Amino acid sequence: MADVLSVGVNLEAFSQAISAIQALRSSVSRVFDCLKDGMRNKETLEGREKAFIAHFQDNLHSVNRDLNELERLSNLVGKPSENHPLHNSGLLSLDPVQDKTPLYSQLLQAYKWSNKLQYHAGLASGLLNQQSLKRSANQMGVSAKRRPKAQPTTLVLPPHPGEYGVLSHRLHRASWKRKDGKAGQCSLPSTNRPPRALCGKCRVTLGKVLKVIVVMRSLFIDRTIVKGYNESVYTEDGKLDIWSKSSYQVFQKVTDHATTALLHYQLPQMPDVVVRSFMTWLRSYIKLFQAPCQRCGKFLQDGLPPTWRDFRTLEAFHDTCRQ
Amino acid sequence: MGVTCVSQMPVAEGKSVQQTVELLTKKLEMLGAEKQGTFCVDCETYHTAASTLGSQGQAGKLMYVMHNSEYPLSCFALFENGPCLIADTNFDVLMVKLKGFFQSAKASKIETRGTRYQYCDFLVKVGTVTMGPSARGISVEVEYGPCVVASDCWSLLLEFLQSFLGSHTPGAPTVFGNRHDAVYGPADTMVQYMELFNKVRKQQQVPVAGIR
Repeated sequence: MADVLSVGVNLEAFSQAISAIQALRSSVSRVFDCLKDGMRNKETLEGREKAFIAHFQDNLHSVNRDLNELERLSNLVGKPSENHPLHNSGLLSLDPVQDKTPLYSQLLQAYKWSNKLQYHAGLASGLLNQQSLKRSANQMGVSAKRRPKAQPTTLVLPPHPGEYGVLSHRLHRASWKRKDGKAGQCSLPSTNRPPRALCGKCRVTLGKVLKVIVVMRSLFIDRTIVKGYNESVYTEDGKLDIWSKSSYQVFQKVTDHATTALLHYQLPQMPDVVVRSFMTWLRSYIKLFQAPCQRCGKFLQDGLPPTWRDFRTLEAFHDTCRQ
Repeated sequence: MGVTCVSQMPVAEGKSVQQTVELLTKKLEMLGAEKQGTFCVDCETYHTAASTLGSQGQAGKLMYVMHNSEYPLSCFALFENGPCLIADTNFDVLMVKLKGFFQSAKASKIETRGTRYQYCDFLVKVGTVTMGPSARGISVEVEYGPCVVASDCWSLLLEFLQSFLGSHTPGAPTVFGNRHDAVYGPADTMVQYMELFNKVRKQQQVPVAGIR
């Protein structure tokens, strides 16, 4: 409101400035008139020139005077709407015919909305940066060169004491097998080569329950396919088959859950922790056919055993019982 | 192949074998199982020939030669409690040549035929056991494909069996007990069928009420 009042006070200066502009305009047009008319008839050529120059000078002086007057007035007027949050558009509030042109209220509304939008967008971007869904450090803006060189990681799952009893040792036996068929621990190559060359696949056999084909991109697990223990995981030409799915519904379901787990265990800065957590989670499937659902206590629901394993407690649930 | 449980379903009171089978298949269809063709398991008994017996001084062992439509190119030869041989179907021709050692028992052929049902990962085969022209009983085979260790999925199988056999749910087959955590194979199924057929043969002397 203060702005509006100050604008009102300066109205007099405005009218003076307007008349000053008019004066300036008329004096400028007099200069051009004088130039257009040229020299008047005088007796001598010298007299003619003198009179013309004097007249021209007079006119220029008056232009100068008017200009100075305008500049003085313009300082008085100042910049009336500079402090207004809506800048010049704030002047719209001065419009007396509100009913016909409700521009100002609409403008305020729009301004409020855009402010709110900006605020929420800021919050959202903060949250998204915290819980990044991006799957590699590359995409996080950390250049591949600056990434610490990963040491060849040996991933061995520690045997689970007590809880699984006899079965845990079987799991401990669950060996990593590389695609060359050699059994043993899966040591992943270091990142000396360009990341593209680091795509690898390994076969993980879990007891006598299931086989998992793990497709890795550098140290990140890209895709997993779960198949039955008695299903073939090789294509006709003897390569690991990373595309076809299991013919059993239960393993198709477990494949889906494993993909969910991949998205759940995301820590782009510590890929080895991700692999370890994922493998620990996968290990809970050793009791795929033995553990009843922790909620309904049954083995079967729609012909399927409890295929879901809780990410934290590793307890078994049916897909529909887990909520 | 997965873990399989073969059991005998008693004929319902006041019903014929055919009617009981129909009742069972109706229950399966209600459960959501889909019909998938037919199946057949047959078994022929062979005696050890008398000439070989004398030299060894042992009681004659019975050998069973069986076929299963699930494995159309194979032939199974089993001794009771003994080894199980899995051979090509040509084995039948070989048995003719071995007449001197193994003699086919007369009218001993027993077989079960019926419909194959698929429900999720379960394969259910309900068959009528026939010996000669007459129906002797009902066989129910349930296979759970994804699992290969019998002891792992027995509770799960039991729950499934209960869902359509009700009070006639069988106990764990004896082959399950012997195997611990070994991988289940087709021979184990054939042993179960052999035991079932032997049981049905013994019932022959004491006709079960309800079989017409």
